[in-house]
Amino acid sequence: MYRLGVDLGSSYTKGVLVDENNRIIALHCVKSGYNFNNASMKIISYFAEKYKIEYPVYTCGYGREQIKTPFISNSELIALSKAVYEIYKCSCSIIDIGGQDTKFISVNSLGQVDKFKMNRKCAAGTGSFLEEIAFRLDVTPAEFTNLAKEATQEVKINSFCTVFAISEIIGMIKNGATLPNIIIGIYNSIILRSIELSLVEDRLVITGGLPAMHPTIVTLFKKRYPYSDSPEYSQFLAAYGCILLNSVKKIDSPHPLNPSPKREEEFPLL
Amino acid sequence: MSEKVVQDKSELIKLESAKDLRRTMDDYFARLKEAAETRCRKIAWCTSVGPAELLYSMGFEVYFPENHGAMLGAGKNADKYIPSAVAHGYSPDICSYLTSDIGAFLQNETPLQKSGFSSVPRPDILVYNTNQCKEVEDWFSFYARYFKVPIVGIHTPLSISDVNPEIIKNVSAQYYRIIPELEKAAERKFDIDSFMETVGLSHDGCVLWKQVLQKARNHPSPINFFDSAIHMGPIVVMRGTSYAVEYYKILLAELEQRIEQNIGAVPRERFRIYWEGMPLWYKLSNLAKLFARLDTCIVASTYCNSWVFDDLDPADPFESSALAYSKLFIVRSDEVKENVLERLLQEFTIHGIIYHESKTCTRNSNNRFGMQNRLFKRTSIPYLEINGDLNDPRCYSEEQSIIAIETFIDQLSGQVK
Repeated sequence: MYRLGVDLGSSYTKGVLVDENNRIIALHCVKSGYNFNNASMKIISYFAEKYKIEYPVYTCGYGREQIKTPFISNSELIALSKAVYEIYKCSCSIIDIGGQDTKFISVNSLGQVDKFKMNRKCAAGTGSFLEEIAFRLDVTPAEFTNLAKEATQEVKINSFCTVFAISEIIGMIKNGATLPNIIIGIYNSIILRSIELSLVEDRLVITGGLPAMHPTIVTLFKKRYPYSDSPEYSQFLAAYGCILLNSVKKIDSPHPLNPSPKREEEFPLL
Repeated sequence: MSEKVVQDKSELIKLESAKDLRRTMDDYFARLKEAAETRCRKIAWCTSVGPAELLYSMGFEVYFPENHGAMLGAGKNADKYIPSAVAHGYSPDICSYLTSDIGAFLQNETPLQKSGFSSVPRPDILVYNTNQCKEVEDWFSFYARYFKVPIVGIHTPLSISDVNPEIIKNVSAQYYRIIPELEKAAERKFDIDSFMETVGLSHDGCVLWKQVLQKARNHPSPINFFDSAIHMGPIVVMRGTSYAVEYYKILLAELEQRIEQNIGAVPRERFRIYWEGMPLWYKLSNLAKLFARLDTCIVASTYCNSWVFDDLDPADPFESSALAYSKLFIVRSDEVKENVLERLLQEFTIHGIIYHESKTCTRNSNNRFGMQNRLFKRTSIPYLEINGDLNDPRCYSEEQSIIAIETFIDQLSGQVK
């Protein structure tokens, strides 16, 4: 029997399957769409083809109670903190950049949440901000990352508002700014919005769908905070943390998300 | 239907006094309506922490636009009215009590129409005190222009550290100064005995209200913030009358009985929270249920404590009014505010603080200048900041706030034994 954690986020639903030793066996991710239950059923069906799932499943995220199978819901912030602490075993600050939310979490040396803060009711600085700009510029996420590598200088995107950021970008293009330089500006704009949530005073762990999909953001974070890191597949950590929160078992691996021979590798990229 | 494995929810218990509250408020509005329709008594509009005692002592019926603003918010209609005020040049970033109230007026709608009013009661005079904010003056000025009636006000200094004799002298002199205009509107002479009696009644009402709020020091608390935000109606609009005094005797007796019987406002009270900032009027019920489900009682708040004017003294009505209304939390320096909060956190055995940063109310959003960090350093009491607004629901992200509140209580559960 395998236990399942599901993070039903505003943009994507992420599933993590673990064995009896809390070792990750498989990961899967689908778009949340408008029906959280459908999204979670896709996750369950995907895993159920090969594995026998133990119920209840452990959920978090916006759709945490919108699932029609037995579940135990959790706070995504507490779950994420739990998983990060299991990896790093020390106090740290987490910046998680998801579809609609950007979160700052301060985790103490006991692995407890000391403080947290979420973004205001504004898309700037979240995944939706970037998605909207990418859509308007007609650039895919993969192209975004590749273009960023060609940047020669950083341009400043000043706008707080997604729509006006696009107007600002159009103005820059008119004035001859290159797309790679603009992309770096967009990444930096997201970073600035996230670091204003709180002071980062210790190790910084960057998680969420956005840094996973745009690794240049992690590189830019590291320039500001040398003592920072982003674990692989960090967008799955909250789902994994849900299982850990409801488990008494210890994890034997120091980094449970390190690729293992048993892991399903073919989960779709965000 | 979703199946949830752990689905143990706590139910809120309603106060029996709610029916007396209803009667008290209905009678207040009936008196206002009679005055509005027959002009048998003059009507003054007053800000919520304005000189109500002076007005009641001179025979006015007193109408409070802020109470009306809260009714619009609680009725979930503010966002219908705000655009009208904005279209008339009032920014959506200023007080949403103001914009929803003026917007409703421009649309000729008011929740008072359900009680038979044709419109809000026409004022004979408008009276404000800027102790709470400057925007009340702008708000009342709109109506002064519309109705072509006099407007008078008391301008209280801001960020007061020490309510010193100079401030008392300044503010009490302003009380004296507005009397001639009030006499003209009232068509009667100011009577010091009547003022002293009204100040005495206001004092008694405030003391009873304070006692009501202090019952929440009990474990479990017999009353929570969401009850208080409703039951504060009489101390806001009938301060200085026997109606408020009589009502709070009833409420206090019920709370004492609850304490005797060990009845809590939240039956399985486990966490005790302090609420800093304005209520979200359009989400009172949802939030009350959410906190009850989390076995959490909001036992104290800056907002409800703001109507405790126990410095009022009938023997010295002018100077004690100046003292009481300048000692108000909102008009004090951050240092004084932090001392007050620290005392309340201890008094009510608080586990956590929630700061509601209200988009359109800077003066009631005390986390905008770093107070949350300073207070945390002093007390080590965890805090949560949520973004919203007193009246404009468009400024509030409910799903995100629920996640934040649930996480905060989860966070506290690791710390509270």
